[in-house]
Amino acid sequence: MSVQRSQPRKAVLLDTTRCVGCGACYQACQEQNEQVHPSSDYLKEDLDARTFTVVNNRGGRYVRRMCMHCEVPTCVSVCPVAALEKTALGPVVYHREKCIGCRYCMQACPFGVPRYEWTSAFPYVRKCTMCAPRLAKGLATACATVCPSGATAFGDRDEMIREAQKRIKAEPERYFNHVYGIKEIGGTSVLVISDVSPDRLGLPTKLGQEPLPELTWNVLEKIPTAVACGGVLLSGIWWITNRREEVAKAEGKKKH
Amino acid sequence: MKTKLQIPELTWWRVFLLAVLGMGLYSTYVRFVHGLGASTALRDSFPWGLWIGFDVLCGVALAAGGFTVSAMVYVFHSERFKPIIRPTILTAFLGYLLVIVGLMFDLGQPWSIWHAIIMWNPHSVMFEVAWCVMLYTTVLALEFSPMLFERLGWKVAYETVHRLTVPLVILGVLLSMLHQSSLGSLFLILPGKLYPLWYSPFLPIFFFISALGLGCAMTIFESFLSYRAFRKKLEIDLLADLGKIMAVPLALYLLLKFLDLRARGVLHLAFEPTYEGRMFLLEIMVGVVTPLILLLFRKVRYDEFGIFVTACMVVFGTVMNRLNVATTGLEGYAGQYFPSWTELSVTAMIITAGFVLFGLAVKFLRVFPAEELRPEAEQLPELPVVTALRPLTRPALLVLVVAGVVTLAGSGLAYSALNVHLFGTKAATQPAKPDITRGVANFDVPDVEFVSSKDSPGKVTFRHGSHVDLEKPACAECHTGRFSMLNASKQVRTGVDMHDAQHCGACHDGKKSFNAKEDCASCHGN
Repeated sequence: MSVQRSQPRKAVLLDTTRCVGCGACYQACQEQNEQVHPSSDYLKEDLDARTFTVVNNRGGRYVRRMCMHCEVPTCVSVCPVAALEKTALGPVVYHREKCIGCRYCMQACPFGVPRYEWTSAFPYVRKCTMCAPRLAKGLATACATVCPSGATAFGDRDEMIREAQKRIKAEPERYFNHVYGIKEIGGTSVLVISDVSPDRLGLPTKLGQEPLPELTWNVLEKIPTAVACGGVLLSGIWWITNRREEVAKAEGKKKH
Repeated sequence: MKTKLQIPELTWWRVFLLAVLGMGLYSTYVRFVHGLGASTALRDSFPWGLWIGFDVLCGVALAAGGFTVSAMVYVFHSERFKPIIRPTILTAFLGYLLVIVGLMFDLGQPWSIWHAIIMWNPHSVMFEVAWCVMLYTTVLALEFSPMLFERLGWKVAYETVHRLTVPLVILGVLLSMLHQSSLGSLFLILPGKLYPLWYSPFLPIFFFISALGLGCAMTIFESFLSYRAFRKKLEIDLLADLGKIMAVPLALYLLLKFLDLRARGVLHLAFEPTYEGRMFLLEIMVGVVTPLILLLFRKVRYDEFGIFVTACMVVFGTVMNRLNVATTGLEGYAGQYFPSWTELSVTAMIITAGFVLFGLAVKFLRVFPAEELRPEAEQLPELPVVTALRPLTRPALLVLVVAGVVTLAGSGLAYSALNVHLFGTKAATQPAKPDITRGVANFDVPDVEFVSSKDSPGKVTFRHGSHVDLEKPACAECHTGRFSMLNASKQVRTGVDMHDAQHCGACHDGKKSFNAKEDCASCHGN
């Protein structure tokens, strides 16, 4: 616990009412991740293997798209070789040297975030790292550092939740009264506030508050019991049928 | 008489085989040189396609005959099924080997396939799947090995494995139970993505029960084909009994599926004229309901062709179910997917390899007792399936044609439904222009103070406020490369001439804006 206290969870707060769509976050992200991309790409529709954040126009407001860095990440739970990891500070990071390329993380992510290097013969998964190397040095994420309008803020998760609630409380007529990411599917390290409900920002809203990994763990945790019971049952059946046969044989011999 | 040089005859089927092999090899080249993007119709929103849906999910399911029959023979002591145990084990073993081959194509890092051995994540269903594949393939190899040892004359090895039969079979059944069901569990993590007709908390149970039915169906299927291809007689009594046994999991599946759909309140979706609804009905009607009705008739069960067609329907239905779960059911969420020809040809190559390897095994190993084989089987050059299908009687062909037409019509319906479903409702709306007034009110970017040299006419301060168009603050227009955004400091380094085309002069060139080298007072001293 002391480790957690000395390193509080970090979070990114996105406020769509403040975004002016300048693309500074995109540009900083590209610089941070040493990607080369034409600069006008930030408004494009979707993420790709070299674009970890974009700014979408959704019904008259700019909405940033990036990895949500779930508190109980589905991708981390589904990876068969533990190539994805939820770090203490909050970022969900990827260890490419472990990855076998099954793409279960891409299939399972409720936000559809992980991207694949489709043009490579032996591709890896790519996604936002929440600037884990910067966080380790005590810096903010690149996108939050450069945002000129406060649409992307960075800090301790508790502090960011308070900040979001403070903004909503201060101007209740401006905001939809909900901070997305406090509880959704177990909570995320990226929090979103807006003037409209989260579903209009393209965020999934029907998945409840239970982390998705529970769905498979409910089944997986029963495996040892199933194996034990199945083993005993099958061996038992074998023993009975085998014995019945032996008895039949013995009786057959007696008669002869 | 001169002995003629033996050149293999170029039959239509051999040409077909070569074509499948050729296309498959070309696709293999595309996959391993140009990548998955070039060789598949997959994309970020649709990361699993035919290679997972068919090669892996169906490959494993179609191998279900192995554990079903060996459980009947060794655990339940139904010795009468013993004559068909070797071919089912062989099929299962080949099936698993080909699943691994399929995985080699699909995985991004195929040589890392062993990672799950040392890099553990017990919370992942895929981890369980990986272990099941590894362990059950090993078990199947051991169950298969007596056929090889027998041929090689390795008596000690044969005896050793033979003595281990019962524990191996029990282990194999357990692993199969886990593996068949875990392939269903894989999709438990996709609520909201997988169509409700297929998404169910009971997916693992449905996968397991349908695998049991399929195990019987595959055994009937391969018994019939191998009888047609190279055996003297068909154990029709056995197959009829297998048909009866098969009815149990089929009926159970239908009942549970009905209860599950009703409990979740989505039963009506099956009868709606959507792509998903049609595909679901087709899967259930062809794979479960019709076979169940057919199996009611003794005449069908004891007719070699009747039981074969019934088994084929179960195989088709289950394959369709796996494909529906893996691809169809996700199309509503992730957009249309149809496998590329390269994906199809790799799958075709793998299936063909399965048939060829089975034929070779029958030729070189004692899969069937020698006295059961037809004499001409010795020189059987063809794909067994070809020989098997050749002597089909006329009414049989008729049934096949009718079944084919029905299937085509069904899928045609499904596709027209798809068009309405996906493209009919799409209305192009112009996105509204974002309102950024609120953001602009907070827009706060620092001024940059330049360090003056000795002969400077005055201090220069770069003000973002006078350079940024607040209607369209395109930061990235300037902040690329040289004007780094992340490493920006409020003071620009000294000793650099800012007037050149790399700096202020880039825009202050007298054309885009006033010339930096002429209007000194515009910047200096302000």
